[in-house]
Amino acid sequence: MKSCDEIRELLGAWVDGELGRAEADAVRLHVEGCSVCSEERRQLDKLNVSIKSALVSQRPIAFEPFWRGVERRINEKNSWRDEWMDRLRGAFGRPNLAWSIPAVIGLALVLYSLGVWKEETPRNNFAAVESIDAYGRNVALLRENETRTTVIWLYQNQEGDNEASGETSDQSPTF
Amino acid sequence: MELSDWELVQKCQLGEMEAFQELVSRYHQKVYIVVLGLLRNRDDAMEVAQETFFRAYRKIKSFEGGSSFYTWLYRIAVNIAIDTQRRQKRSLLDYRDNMDEVFEEQQEVAKDPFSDVHEKELREKLLSAINDLTPEHKAVIVLRTLEGLSYKDIGDILGCSEGTVMSRLHYARKKLQEKLRAYL
Amino acid sequence: MKLPGKLRTRALLFSFLATFAAAYLGAAETASQAVKIKIDTILASNQKDEFDSRLKPIEKQLKKSLKYRSYRLLKEESQNLPAQGNGSFDVPGGRTLIVSPQDFTNQQIALKVRLQGGEKPLLDTTLKLENKTNFIFAGPPHENGVLVLVIWATVQ
Repeated sequence: MKSCDEIRELLGAWVDGELGRAEADAVRLHVEGCSVCSEERRQLDKLNVSIKSALVSQRPIAFEPFWRGVERRINEKNSWRDEWMDRLRGAFGRPNLAWSIPAVIGLALVLYSLGVWKEETPRNNFAAVESIDAYGRNVALLRENETRTTVIWLYQNQEGDNEASGETSDQSPTF
Repeated sequence: MELSDWELVQKCQLGEMEAFQELVSRYHQKVYIVVLGLLRNRDDAMEVAQETFFRAYRKIKSFEGGSSFYTWLYRIAVNIAIDTQRRQKRSLLDYRDNMDEVFEEQQEVAKDPFSDVHEKELREKLLSAINDLTPEHKAVIVLRTLEGLSYKDIGDILGCSEGTVMSRLHYARKKLQEKLRAYL
Repeated sequence: MKLPGKLRTRALLFSFLATFAAAYLGAAETASQAVKIKIDTILASNQKDEFDSRLKPIEKQLKKSLKYRSYRLLKEESQNLPAQGNGSFDVPGGRTLIVSPQDFTNQQIALKVRLQGGEKPLLDTTLKLENKTNFIFAGPPHENGVLVLVIWATVQ
């Protein structure tokens, strides 16, 4: 005869239909006769339903743009490889110009160090946020991966008190 | 007559891109949903889902039909998603998926001031609790709950035994129940 | 064309590398360097489809991170701040942004930032930002949209 602890270990697998016939019957009989395990089963059912509801995406994705993304990866990798092979063949096939390789690399390094190739647009590395205190307001930290942008979003309170209220605060800036 | 997955794979192995496109068409939604369940970020999920099919394309010749195509595919997807999760650093703050979720919430508040706060709180707490699980525990929860896969299939995908799947599921559910007891 | 001698090639390569190292790696990072803080104050809204051309360099950032239809630059302000110093920036709606650079090590600028509404603090944050990059504060309502503050930090 299994104890409640042993039954609880098997409850998930039983609900999932993964137990053998004999074990499944034993669990079913116990649950039917035990209010504690029966309640545990109810909570497990509710948990499973809640998890599914929380995880399911409401929006299907369109196939065409998805396929274009996959196709692009396949084609990019193919062309990158081919180009690299051509370059290697070219480099090894022209010994007379071998001196130009370190010269070009060196020139590129010098130009970079002099800022010739500094980008106008930011490098957009994520900010490492160490602490946030929103004084009881809701705040969200968002990370946008493509541009590597960090956004700190301050929600508006119900009272709309993000506008200046004119009240004086007891706290002075602690810088 | 519709070709089976294995027949399509064999055509892919002979270089037929249309066959691969058909496989993508069959499984892109499922892969995306599973990955989204693991990563909770739509942009990341899209990247990982596309990367999954790209890697499947590269490795298609090594697929010998020992397992079903979709478990082989899910294995690739879950491995990439778990690697992605490990690489991403998490702060103590709750991350939001992206601005869509922020806007949806704002609109929800604006449209329906009497919405079921309890259900909303449960969903938020549940997502947060799932995010706190290790990648391996999150994977079993997602594969079982979203896809209804058997323990054997989950074990094939994650490269572990059915017993390990069962104990990970038990542990993950126990952790979630502990955090959400007040709501269940 | 004849190949130059090995010695000449090596000297050429070495001199390029040495120049690069001196110019890029030789710059000392000190905690006492001033930091230029620039704030772009932007009004984002869904009133119409409009993009201020002055925001072109950060167009992709704004459109990818935020989902508004219209972005208009309200003002741009810069201050050079010493380490541990405070800089106050007026923000529309009676608000103030106070920025204090802390230190600069490993190409990371440590900042303390506070957004105030009048005298009332709304949000404090401490963060580290790579030199010459930015982060965004957003959300305070203004007119028919929200304020977006793009905060840049550059070591001088």
